[in-house]
Amino acid sequence: MNKTTIIMVKNGKKFFFRFSVNQRIQHLILATCVVVLVLTGMPLKFHYTFWAQYLYALFGGIHMAPIIHRMAGIVLILLFVYHIIYLIRTIWRGQIVPLKQKEGLSIVRLIRLLLDQPLMPNFKDLKDIFDLFKYLLFLTSERPQGAQFTWKEKFDYWAPFWGIVIIGASGAIMWGKEIATQWLPGEVINFALIAHSDEALLAALFLFIWHWYNVHFSTSVFPMGTAFLTGYLSEELMIEEHYEYYIEVMKQEGFENEILPPHQGGGNDNIKKKPMEEIHSASELPRIL
Amino acid sequence: MPKAACRFLVTLWGFICLFLICAPSVSFCADIGNCLLCHKYPGLSRVDENGKLRLLYINEAIFNTSMHAKVKCEGCHPDIQKIPHDPAKKVDCLIQCHIVEPSSEQKFSHKDVAEFLKKSVHSPLDADGKPKPFPEDFPDCKKCHDNPLYRPMSFNKMMLPGISVTALGRCRVCHKKDDFIYQFYNHVTTRLRRSRNPKNIAESCARCHDNPILMKRHNLSTKAVYSYGESFHGKAATFLDERIPDCLDCHVNPGESVHQMLGYKNPQSAVSAQNKGRICANAECHPSATPKMAEYKVHAEFNLNQSPVRYYFTVFFIALTGGTLLPLMGIIFLDCLRRLFPNTVLIQRKKKHE
Amino acid sequence: MKTFLSKIYIIGFMVLTLGFMALIWKVTFHQIIVEYQNRKKSEQITDMRKEKERLSADPTFQSAIMEGEERVKHYLGYRVLEDTRIEGHFHHIDFNVIPDKGSYCITCHGDIPHDKSKELRAFANMHASFIACQTCHIRLEGEKRTGVFKWYARGTGEITDSPVKEGVLPGRYQAKIIPFENENGRLQRMDNPERMLFAAEFKKKEPELSELQKTKARKIIHNIVSKQPHICEDCHQQQAPILPFKELGYPEKRVNAFISTEVIGMIKNYTKFYMPRMLHPGQADDGSTPSGDK
Repeated sequence: MNKTTIIMVKNGKKFFFRFSVNQRIQHLILATCVVVLVLTGMPLKFHYTFWAQYLYALFGGIHMAPIIHRMAGIVLILLFVYHIIYLIRTIWRGQIVPLKQKEGLSIVRLIRLLLDQPLMPNFKDLKDIFDLFKYLLFLTSERPQGAQFTWKEKFDYWAPFWGIVIIGASGAIMWGKEIATQWLPGEVINFALIAHSDEALLAALFLFIWHWYNVHFSTSVFPMGTAFLTGYLSEELMIEEHYEYYIEVMKQEGFENEILPPHQGGGNDNIKKKPMEEIHSASELPRIL
Repeated sequence: MPKAACRFLVTLWGFICLFLICAPSVSFCADIGNCLLCHKYPGLSRVDENGKLRLLYINEAIFNTSMHAKVKCEGCHPDIQKIPHDPAKKVDCLIQCHIVEPSSEQKFSHKDVAEFLKKSVHSPLDADGKPKPFPEDFPDCKKCHDNPLYRPMSFNKMMLPGISVTALGRCRVCHKKDDFIYQFYNHVTTRLRRSRNPKNIAESCARCHDNPILMKRHNLSTKAVYSYGESFHGKAATFLDERIPDCLDCHVNPGESVHQMLGYKNPQSAVSAQNKGRICANAECHPSATPKMAEYKVHAEFNLNQSPVRYYFTVFFIALTGGTLLPLMGIIFLDCLRRLFPNTVLIQRKKKHE
Repeated sequence: MKTFLSKIYIIGFMVLTLGFMALIWKVTFHQIIVEYQNRKKSEQITDMRKEKERLSADPTFQSAIMEGEERVKHYLGYRVLEDTRIEGHFHHIDFNVIPDKGSYCITCHGDIPHDKSKELRAFANMHASFIACQTCHIRLEGEKRTGVFKWYARGTGEITDSPVKEGVLPGRYQAKIIPFENENGRLQRMDNPERMLFAAEFKKKEPELSELQKTKARKIIHNIVSKQPHICEDCHQQQAPILPFKELGYPEKRVNAFISTEVIGMIKNYTKFYMPRMLHPGQADDGSTPSGDK
């Protein structure tokens, strides 16, 4: 693999590496599938509303929409399988093999390695949530200083992860009901339906409100966050959400002297309000402080 | 006979023939008594002593697309014989009307249907001929049927529902009367499927079976059509799928009259414990289904009394959804609020950067 | 400006978030409450079942009036027929009447007011669907009489062109015929704004009025009503029909139908059998005033 640029400087602005091309493609497929699945699924759940039939008609109505729904479902499950393989391969090649060579493999070391994965929930997340509430309730002006992946992003990752397992499995049962009921009692279809539709509602609302708010609609990123396309995050957002990681990366990449102060309430106005000035003075700032 | 008169008669004959050929296809209306002279007016109505609207209006165009189009008014209303009418009696669907049933060449009557109904769970009398409790709740013909309308199918083109003009053309090769062709085509193609689509069937059953008071009176525990509507079949019916099973497909043995619907306790019933396993495996539905699949609870409701396991399973997901989303929404709200007043801090402890 | 817009945006999003919260509440925890309420309701019905008499009691207002009519869509493949479903009615209607906003009579008397004369009520109601009450129930005499009649639209009450057109089936009009009177040389609708206002005011204040005041008001409202309304033959005749059919837009074919042997014959038939009442159709056998007027 080519060495990726962790901090890309363009026109004097710094951009921080977030997602590889592979990950971005995975995300795009996931996003497309989810949108299609929600649009072709929700009219069924809310069949009694006025909009359901129009939305359903857009996807070819009762004859076509279920087929589209299943196709998107298959793609999503394939993606999920690929992602698991990708995950195992990445960890195996990138971490376990070096570990083996360096220290030798033991169960304790392996578990610790897995728990240290950047997307694993940990105590820092609890602390960050606590700090976030302190900030949101106007008790402090400091935002929690997030690590490489904040608790929000971990939520964003694990919610669809669990969702795909539940929704995928229940969907498969309902699709292959004849096969499933060869062994399972027929009532399992009832449970599959409940799990499928309720979990889907959770996933849909979670993604379209919570996830989209955080990455697109909040005033820091409005009208659209671009990291999912470019793979890089701007410096302001990096400071706002991932300050701990920001400092780490800046030090690591030799930008120690250019580290900006943490986000202060509306305080990153000093960056936003006069971007041109900021570019020139960014390197001066730490010294002024 | 003088030549001129002869020519006139021939011309007249020609005109008559032309008229017969060109007569619009709706001309078969059976209004011999000229009832429509008055009954074509939508306002012809009154409110009776019980506060019920008596609408005496007949929409001729719609009536002519109904299965009874060939029946004269007097066929069903034989007691109305003079003008001014005597108070009209309730129509008895079992009388012999003027239609001759072609296979038996007998006058037609719906009597057989009544026989089926008598044996069914919908009969107001029990097996011993004694009235069941609340006999007035049991349906008569008009409870389920209004005038059935033709739903002709078009076979040669997928896109055009209704009558196929080219198919009519093929009929015309052998049959000369357009009235007959139109009628026959309509009748046969309508009868190839139900005269109502699954949604309309379900609505019809729902009038009683979703009425909680009626259901309680007769010890039925589910809102049958509501729960059907929550299943995939019911939802597909809502989206007007014609191929989806409606109430009658599962509750009547294939090939039997839907009027002979039996209660689930009756061993002969399609939904009885013995026969239930065969429902799904119908060759037109899920041929590879095992009897286990029929254990699927079509009439499942979110109801603690019906199934505690399903209830708590649902509650778990409700709690999961609500319990996850509501706090997150709260955070979004607070986040917005914080962004509205970015520089406000309630406790001013340290302002080290200034 | 930008800060202001972003503030507006944030406030908007907050409102949206609250809306979403309500929505999420509705599709989640609220469902548990609904289920609980339904269960309780169902148990109540079981209790009611024990008291049989409560079930067989007279219809409630809710059951008889509010739940009486239902809109049904018949999916016929080639078309969707949307119909009002009248309990126990066999034939399809496929015709919707727009509520008559122009008439102040129907606020008390209803849209299907005639019910006294058994033989005539349906005919009278049929005519009432396209002829305003004033046309028959007020006999304009002397100076007041103008012979002018016009159509008004049911929906707006405004004077409109004749709805009698090619392609519109007889009687299926969304308009009614109203007479015009001569008020000091001026042509005026019988349902002039003053009369409508009076009736509306009465309807509004009725609960507060004393019995005497109510009687007074009713007298004034009805003082233009003739004891004997126009009868069938006043219009269904060749010589001098009350209604100017031609001006009302009826083609000659239809006018001829009104006075055809079939119609006239039927009227004769009725007159022969029901002579006494035919001449006083407004008066019932028991001599009481029309319904709704009590």
